[in-house]
Amino acid sequence: MATNKGDINDGGAESFLTLGPDNSVTVRYHPDFGPHSDLILLEVPDDSVLNDLLRGRVTIRGQFDEDAVLCTPSSTYAMKFVGTSNSVFLIPPRKPNLSDPQPNPLVSVLKLAPGNVELVLTAPRLDKLRFLLMQRLYKIDEEDEEDCSSEGLYTWHDLICSIQASDEELREGLKFLSAVEINGFWRIVHPKSVNMILTMVLTNSVLHDWSLDALVEEEVLSVLESDGFNTTIVKHCLETFGTKNENDNSKLWGLDKKRIAVHFAKQVLGSNGGKMRLEIFIEKWMRNVQKGTPFDLNMLEGEVLYETIGAETWIKAFSVADLPLTPDARFSVLFKERAKWAWKDLEPYVRDLRVPGISSEGLLIKYTRRVQPNADAEPIFSAR
Amino acid sequence: MEIKVKCNCGVENCSEWAILELQGVVESQPSIANQIQGLEIGRLCCSSSSSQVNYTFTVGYHELSGTKVSLKKPLLVLKKNKQEEGSVSNNEVDLEVIGIIRHKILFKNRPKAIISRPQVKDKKASD
Repeated sequence: MATNKGDINDGGAESFLTLGPDNSVTVRYHPDFGPHSDLILLEVPDDSVLNDLLRGRVTIRGQFDEDAVLCTPSSTYAMKFVGTSNSVFLIPPRKPNLSDPQPNPLVSVLKLAPGNVELVLTAPRLDKLRFLLMQRLYKIDEEDEEDCSSEGLYTWHDLICSIQASDEELREGLKFLSAVEINGFWRIVHPKSVNMILTMVLTNSVLHDWSLDALVEEEVLSVLESDGFNTTIVKHCLETFGTKNENDNSKLWGLDKKRIAVHFAKQVLGSNGGKMRLEIFIEKWMRNVQKGTPFDLNMLEGEVLYETIGAETWIKAFSVADLPLTPDARFSVLFKERAKWAWKDLEPYVRDLRVPGISSEGLLIKYTRRVQPNADAEPIFSAR
Repeated sequence: MEIKVKCNCGVENCSEWAILELQGVVESQPSIANQIQGLEIGRLCCSSSSSQVNYTFTVGYHELSGTKVSLKKPLLVLKKNKQEEGSVSNNEVDLEVIGIIRHKILFKNRPKAIISRPQVKDKKASD
């Protein structure tokens, strides 16, 4: 703000707010009264956001063609300007004038505010993250290839500038995609490479008599490194398929049999859309999976769909992890796949949907039509 | 793009701004046009009756009555700064928290016309 014109030294906001009974003050237009369009009023929904704002932990993120969002370390808010028809006069604090410590009983209004920005808690916009990271999947032996450019590769900083999500939500999004940071870039590993490394780990376990419940990290990394595998990727494989058990000094990993079984089921079926007769699938799946691994079709919930073609049952790859995260796009894809869904089939494909302020029932009401012929029949969902 | 929202005041020292809010529009006499800087708008008085503190705002020959309200959701005053040439970030703009508003004096009752004739510099028009 420019300095005051003349010798005016008013009491500002303090005089205004502390005006006591039987006192009065003149309110006038500030010498610098004007539109001051560089001043914005932001409504703060709660103390947590206020704290983040006052501690400088808040950023605004988005590209120029997107609506900006405000991000605290853990949450994302849509920014909405709300106008008012009232006259909202903004009164700045008193500017201390050293030559005249006693303020005049005068209050100046600097600006007439047309409204304020409201913050609405919103789901992070993470669909774009998968789209960006799918541009260049990481393949083993990638370093040997000619193309060493960093085009289509994204650092953490690149992602922050492109994705409208808080840091915490972005990290969760990366974890959900099983992304890994290699040479400073966040990458999704190509499914063929994932399979190659997992198979190597399993084969070596048999060779070296390792226990899959207690793999010694250093041992696994060094053996696979000598076979030419990048340790970052091998470690990522352990994280994807196992859980760390920090025991004494050596780091031990327990591989999750269910995650491995699901992985091989997907290998057998191929990518989304791949399908085969159920008996053939089960036979192939059994052959791929380690002995002693339970393989129960219930493990494949949210990963496969079943179709009856004639007298045969067919199984088809359809993974919820590949579907859009926003409800309208998600339901659109689901109803394109199948016009009608029974609740037990639909549930695994909608249970992860989260929209602040709407319950799961609310989402169903908003995006689907529910038909239940009678009280005993199972409800059927179709597009609205 | 990422724009950081700076705050140099911290949690304790955020300067307090205030709002005077009324329904309607304050207009100046046509002869004044846009030269309103420094011009008086009106007189704000405070009085108390029983346990309540009331405010009266007299603009021209209108008298408004209102009360002080604590905002359930505080407002922050943000300032958009254009970046200087050669600054570190390649954004054109950054934002800074320069104040907080926790209270306002709100006049939401219909104005009362004062019969006597005060000096009229401004007149109040309500919708």
